[in-house]
Amino acid sequence: MAEEKYPINIWVNEERYEKIRSAGLANLCEEMLAGLKVIRAYANDAQKDKILKLFPTAKFDSATTKSIELLPRKVKDKIFDLIVEKKKVDVMEEFLKRQS
Amino acid sequence: MSEIGHGGKEIVERILQPKEAVQKIKGLKSVPIGSQMANEVINIAYGWFSPLKGFMNKADADAVCNSMRLTDGTVWSIPIIFDMGDQEIADYGVKEGDTVLLTYQDNPLAILEVEEIWGYDIANMCKCVYGTGDPKHPGVSRTCNYKNKFLGGPITLVNRPRINPPYEPYFIPPLEMRKRFKEKGWVKVVAHQTRNVPHTGHEWLMKGAWLQAYADLPIDKPLVGVLVNAIIGEKRKGDYIDEAIILTQDELRKSGYFGDHNHMTSLTFWDMRYAGPKEAIFHAMLRTNLGVSHHMFGRDHAGVGTYYGAYDAHELLESVRDDLSITPVYSMNWLYCPHCGEVTSEGLCNHRKEWQKFSGTLIRSIVDDGVKPPRLIFRPEVFDLVMECAEKYGFGSPFVTDEYLKRRTPVFTIPPLS
Repeated sequence: MAEEKYPINIWVNEERYEKIRSAGLANLCEEMLAGLKVIRAYANDAQKDKILKLFPTAKFDSATTKSIELLPRKVKDKIFDLIVEKKKVDVMEEFLKRQS
Repeated sequence: MSEIGHGGKEIVERILQPKEAVQKIKGLKSVPIGSQMANEVINIAYGWFSPLKGFMNKADADAVCNSMRLTDGTVWSIPIIFDMGDQEIADYGVKEGDTVLLTYQDNPLAILEVEEIWGYDIANMCKCVYGTGDPKHPGVSRTCNYKNKFLGGPITLVNRPRINPPYEPYFIPPLEMRKRFKEKGWVKVVAHQTRNVPHTGHEWLMKGAWLQAYADLPIDKPLVGVLVNAIIGEKRKGDYIDEAIILTQDELRKSGYFGDHNHMTSLTFWDMRYAGPKEAIFHAMLRTNLGVSHHMFGRDHAGVGTYYGAYDAHELLESVRDDLSITPVYSMNWLYCPHCGEVTSEGLCNHRKEWQKFSGTLIRSIVDDGVKPPRLIFRPEVFDLVMECAEKYGFGSPFVTDEYLKRRTPVFTIPPLS
């Protein structure tokens, strides 16, 4: 069975869009909810638990979206910057390593 | 004409006129109370909790725990009890048979005729009401924090609360609410329970329930309304601030997504217990007293975490349906389907693989990231008002912060009794 993955939605505001466009990474954006741009970084089960422990304001929306929400904006900025640096969305292992 | 509320009992306000109140409270021992008890005193006095006339004695609390009924057989799901510690009882010199003056914010609020002082096995109460004794459950935690004795007996309000802006238009007690429904000509009213700023998923839940309630009624004039009844009570950090909740709910009417002919916003003071199925029954009782004919119940109504199954509340409601004077409207989730290009019901759309579900939490994460959600998901008037509330009431944030908890304007004030 494939490992369950839980998205962290990084909603792309103008500032973020400018950064990824300049880096030639606009293709990492998905479109959701009638026109919103989002970059989705995925966490596995263990990473999800670590994130929820590290950032107590974060919440796993188990009822509806199955996504990790309410991470502080600064934390999402760090994940976003890492995505730009690594040019890929699969960055959670590296992100958590840098937190420890 | 008398107004009949939950359990087939007449709704009677238990409120004294000021002159009589001044006389009645003379010489009474004063007992200060906290916000939960003040809310519940108001609910009893105005009839939200009809047929309760006061705080429960042991027999009623026991019957509620063991059989979800009062001793007279009326369905009741959550004990309404007044706690006090042994030491306080001794310090205030309270005895059975006494009448005491309950004060809030240092002013007289109500008199309590103490019929019984009783103790209870709180662990058992938790198990019966919440189905768990887990202290992580917020209702269990609240209940376990009760002091070890309870005072039972009727209460009478001696001083009406002064509702502070911007809440005044939304404080509509049961007897007044029923008058308003008659003035509007509504023959059916469907209640929407909320503690949220509305996104379009909520809006469509209401619209769907309105259609369900309308059913086969004639359409030549408006006969059905939605009553938004926001629960205003204890706040937790990170919740939307109360001002944003109540004003944005009403904004849906003001901005034309509904109208005066089919939508009204109101509030009930209540500290949520998150008791899931039992709280669903409780909501049905409250809204029956408000004169509502239908009540929306979604998945995991009033639940928290994973303590209750998605449809446990519906099953419990069905088990006592004949004893409730309200028709449950079971609501399916609404979601965005990019294929349809619209918000649609999961019961209608079959583009399942394309569905994009959204929740209040998800919308909040969008707002937190500095992005304005599209109007199909979150109405621009609601978004703008949330931001306005943040500045006007929330000390810069639409969400509850330590500063908000410390400095917010109280929802109501108890003025001096003159």
